[in-house]
Amino acid sequence: MKRNAYTILYAFILGGICSLVPTAVGELTAPYREANAKAEEIRNILRVLEIPVSQNATSRQLVAQFEKSVRVSSKEGRTLYRSVDRLDSTRVGAVALAFSGPGIWGLIKGFLALDTGMTTIKRISFYQNEETPGLGGEIGTEWFQNKFIGKEIRDASGAAGFKIRRSGAQGPNEIDGISGATLTCGKVQTILNTLILHIDKEKRHDN
Amino acid sequence: MTTETAATAGLTHCGACGGKGVKTFKDGVLTNNPIFAQVLGICSALAVTSKLETSLVMGIGYVFVLSLSALVVSLLRKTIPHRIRIITQVLVVCVFVIVLDQLLKAFYFEASRQLGPYVGLIITNTLTLGRTEGFSIQNKPLLSLVDGAGNGLGYAAVLAVIGTIRELLGSGKLLGHVVLSPHIYTPNQLMILAPGAFFGLGILIALLNITVLKSKDAKK
Repeated sequence: MKRNAYTILYAFILGGICSLVPTAVGELTAPYREANAKAEEIRNILRVLEIPVSQNATSRQLVAQFEKSVRVSSKEGRTLYRSVDRLDSTRVGAVALAFSGPGIWGLIKGFLALDTGMTTIKRISFYQNEETPGLGGEIGTEWFQNKFIGKEIRDASGAAGFKIRRSGAQGPNEIDGISGATLTCGKVQTILNTLILHIDKEKRHDN
Repeated sequence: MTTETAATAGLTHCGACGGKGVKTFKDGVLTNNPIFAQVLGICSALAVTSKLETSLVMGIGYVFVLSLSALVVSLLRKTIPHRIRIITQVLVVCVFVIVLDQLLKAFYFEASRQLGPYVGLIITNTLTLGRTEGFSIQNKPLLSLVDGAGNGLGYAAVLAVIGTIRELLGSGKLLGHVVLSPHIYTPNQLMILAPGAFFGLGILIALLNITVLKSKDAKK
């Protein structure tokens, strides 16, 4: 009985001490981590809007580029990032929107860039995910994200929605998923459709 | 010590290292190298070595985590209740892994992004518990620190070697700089992918067993 009490007390005290250290380090590094996360976000907005940035750009350069070539507006609680190019007005602009939602193991965050008519996907980026490395984690790679380029957010009949199929994707709004990552693909589809349905509703409201 | 039994002997024999700091350190780095002789922790060794930079960051981070975990576990060794000793060790390791992860996210974001979940997976790296449970729990703090650092460095060295081979053969670069120009060498993509890691590590283990570890057996 005495030994049990010691064990429980020991676990309790050590657990308490051990939780203090990461908390302290977390607090101290918070400003740096937030700045990095912000820079990563900006880098991804610039990427989906196809605004060229150097691979080694510092966070300050990223912010400068962002302020120069992206116009931020807000609509119905969603932030819209529009690319503006003062030098080349013939270049078709794009609109990027943020999305986020639960994956299998953690939060998935990313940006979806559409053409100005809000129909065709220009680019997509999943810049934060904690999916299984090598399987669901592949959503963070170029080859998967490139599959979305040129796809539409509505099917042939005009109904809004995007499908990630196991195989045999044919429609304008379909792509093949990743083998071994059916669950992640399902989650990604749900997250995207939440955003797409919102965009669709907004557009019909405007018309 | 034959190489077949080295994996298990590495865990049980180490209590017999007998207060010799230099020998403990040398064992960790070379003769009882975590990856080559104990064949522990190879999961992350395969996963993070597609580039030299990530290999180095992971290696250095691992030295930090393993040294300090070994020291703290050893300091606590007389107070830890026997029944919860494994979970206590995991807890101590977790603290240092989280600290490392936070520091990387704050000051070396690029590497943190590339390493992804593998920093966190140090907690479940068999080598970590292998050293704390196999050595620190029954040895004095300073010697445990030396053992942790030695094993950490042994692990880091192997990661650096495999990282160098894979980045050089897989993309013709080292630390991101072009070393082998595409005119004289066509990068072999296989080396960057998982099979490249298996081949690279397998061949290295075989070579080291034939040369260094074999000659050690012969002396005995």
